[in-house]
Amino acid sequence: MKDKQAPISAVLSLIPGLGQLFNRQYIKGFVIFSLFTAFMLVFSDFFQAGMWGFVTLGTEVPRDNSIFLLSEGLVALIIISIGLVFYSLNIRDAYVNGQRLSQGKQVNSIRGTYHAILNEGYPYLLTGPAFFVLLFSVVFPILFTISLAFTNYDLYHSAPANLADWVGLETFKKIFSVDIWRNTFVNVLGWTVVWTLVASTLQVSVGILLAIIVNQKKLKAKKFIRTIFMLPWAVPGFVTILIFGGLFNDSFGAINNQILASVGIGPISWMTDPNWTRIALLLIQTWLGFPYIFLVTTGTLQSIPDELYEASVMDGASAWQKFKQITLPIILYSMTPIIITQYTFNFNNFNIIYLFNGGGPAVLGSNAGGTDILVSWIYKLTMQNSQYALAAALTILLSVFVIFIALWQFRRSNSFKEVQ
Amino acid sequence: MKKLSRVLLSSMLAVGGLLSNAAVSQVNAQEEYDLVVWEDVNKGIGIAAAVEKFEAEHGVNILVVEKAYAQQLEDLRLDGPAGSGPDVFTMPADQIGTAVVEGLVKEVNADDAVKASFTEASIQSQTVDGKLYGLPKSVETQILFYNKDLIAEEDLPDTLEGWYELSQNNTSDSFAFLALFDQLYYTMGVIGGYGGYIFNQDENGNYLPEEIGLNNAGAIEAVDYVSKFYTEKLFPDGIIGEQGINVLEALFVEGRVQAVISGPWNLEPFTSAGLNYGVKELPLLPNGEHMQSVAGVKSYNISSYTKNPELAEAFLLFITNEENSLVRYEETLEVPAVLALSEHPTVVENDAAEAIALQSEHAKLVPGIVQMNEVWNSMDPALQIVMNGQATAQEALDIAVQQIISTNQALQ
Repeated sequence: MKDKQAPISAVLSLIPGLGQLFNRQYIKGFVIFSLFTAFMLVFSDFFQAGMWGFVTLGTEVPRDNSIFLLSEGLVALIIISIGLVFYSLNIRDAYVNGQRLSQGKQVNSIRGTYHAILNEGYPYLLTGPAFFVLLFSVVFPILFTISLAFTNYDLYHSAPANLADWVGLETFKKIFSVDIWRNTFVNVLGWTVVWTLVASTLQVSVGILLAIIVNQKKLKAKKFIRTIFMLPWAVPGFVTILIFGGLFNDSFGAINNQILASVGIGPISWMTDPNWTRIALLLIQTWLGFPYIFLVTTGTLQSIPDELYEASVMDGASAWQKFKQITLPIILYSMTPIIITQYTFNFNNFNIIYLFNGGGPAVLGSNAGGTDILVSWIYKLTMQNSQYALAAALTILLSVFVIFIALWQFRRSNSFKEVQ
Repeated sequence: MKKLSRVLLSSMLAVGGLLSNAAVSQVNAQEEYDLVVWEDVNKGIGIAAAVEKFEAEHGVNILVVEKAYAQQLEDLRLDGPAGSGPDVFTMPADQIGTAVVEGLVKEVNADDAVKASFTEASIQSQTVDGKLYGLPKSVETQILFYNKDLIAEEDLPDTLEGWYELSQNNTSDSFAFLALFDQLYYTMGVIGGYGGYIFNQDENGNYLPEEIGLNNAGAIEAVDYVSKFYTEKLFPDGIIGEQGINVLEALFVEGRVQAVISGPWNLEPFTSAGLNYGVKELPLLPNGEHMQSVAGVKSYNISSYTKNPELAEAFLLFITNEENSLVRYEETLEVPAVLALSEHPTVVENDAAEAIALQSEHAKLVPGIVQMNEVWNSMDPALQIVMNGQATAQEALDIAVQQIISTNQALQ
């Protein structure tokens, strides 16, 4: 009888609270039972409606709004999962306490349970509300986007006159089977990859290089120089990019009219030739992005002990060898996470692409502009073409790509391995 | 510590309660009114007198809210189902195809006499599949703005060719004539005048989305003609693209251009900028035809989420009648769509209104079907490429038309 205490109370807890009663935790069992009954009473209608709506996405216009039903279904799913989590906790609690009884130990009285919750459960109590908010403000939108990608929601399937349906992987297939989407996707993805690699590498290299130069012992006015270099970061990027858009204007911008003209170079079609627009974007991003790297590198450099350099000088190291063997490895080791985040930031750098020239100039045979990256193309698909499901599908592809690359790089880099 | 956390918890709950209260009260406030009307920004004054009369006659309360008219349909998508939407709202007529497909507007029952009181183009813009979905409020089309300090009215060329010749005297920072011909909205006038068209129509006037006339011989000739202005550098490259309209308007306000093609939205701003300008109909094309500029119609429509459809319809018919349209014109200077008013002395004596009315006789409506969206999306980039000199008109327009057809098929 005693050996079976745990499994029996676990099975009994399939009806929440009974297991606890069997374990002689009467008040606790009663409380759990009433909580679960209240939960089911309050939410059962909502669950039924939510699940029906989620599965069918509506059957009748104009009564049913497919997207509202999808959202309500997701909320119902989230609440059901919360319920399931507590349900399994309840079963586990019954099992564990059953085991304690089998081993001849005392189970907690209600006061004991109360104290146990406050002591061991304290971290959960503290993070609980924040986690709850996170569930609805972060998890819910992500689930919503993922769900949208498996529907056919667009202008022709919009409420209140139309219903949307589940179409499985068809939207993903469309990206590759419909000519215009496939061409655009390949072109945009190609440019996005090139943009990410070149822009991030440029801004990181310039930042590190300048930090090393400014950190030289014999350089005067270090603080002043560092302040100047921080300025591009200080002014809001939004404003800067808009102003650069004006500066680079083909006919009236200062770059063509004042700067290039004074050295005798003819006007360059910055905004009307896609390749020149790309070059302009790379230059601007370098300008905007290097101060942050500069700052972090300066901090890292100042933490390198001087003894390393003195020892290397005694061994006859040249300046280049000092840089390559001491400075660079230490910088890269401590800054790898930051450098990786620069790459992921630029992959999704919507602001600069959209604000500079609207992702343009236009190119033939492509739904997107000549400098559109994936995220700005997704924005245009949503706002201009009302292709919501397609945009969601692309977002998922984009996210998978970024998460994969970031995870792979984090694992590869030494900085995340345990310190030996 | 425990007491503090209890106080914090209860105050958070209170704040949460208040916030949700605020959202609910907005919906409740609207329920005090029988009709909620969304009007264009700064144009509420145009219907204020009509609203008062209607309220007195029917014994109802009407709330007028001002919102940017081009975004009202977008807001309706979210506010309508939530219950905080309007009963009557306004929008540009080219959004009507989208609105009907989505089911956001309600059909309007108006008898033939009422329909005949508006200009044909304007009532056609509200008709989808033979059904009427709103009533027109105002018409507009592009006109020529000229700087009276730089060129006198008698010296204005009558033809586009005449402006081409004047432009030969351009310097690097002063221009005779500018227009945004890299955008279909402006170039359509030339394309139409040469025999191009967007969607062909069948005998009943229904649009056929598969038959596109944007790369026929006339259209290509038209685009070739206007691209001259760009390739010969008579138009600066700086007015191409998204920011082009800002550059063009800035140049005109600074007095560096003698004339520009623009729309009635600039009547106010140019006046406030202190510019001494005049307006005229658009110049003639080299083949002697008038430019078939795009006609813009603004309309009043009934939301399909309305709780008072009969009252909303009565209100709609009331504010678009001749008397109230005239009052609206006097307050807002937007040319009314009522046929009888186009010859009314008050309208005729205003130069701008006259120019708009005259040009409107040659203006053409843009098809109001959903497939039109893709036309803008494909043609604007194509025109830009031609004006950039990166492709010929034939190449770019062929590809654009192909793109329109295939994308519209893919979206079905």
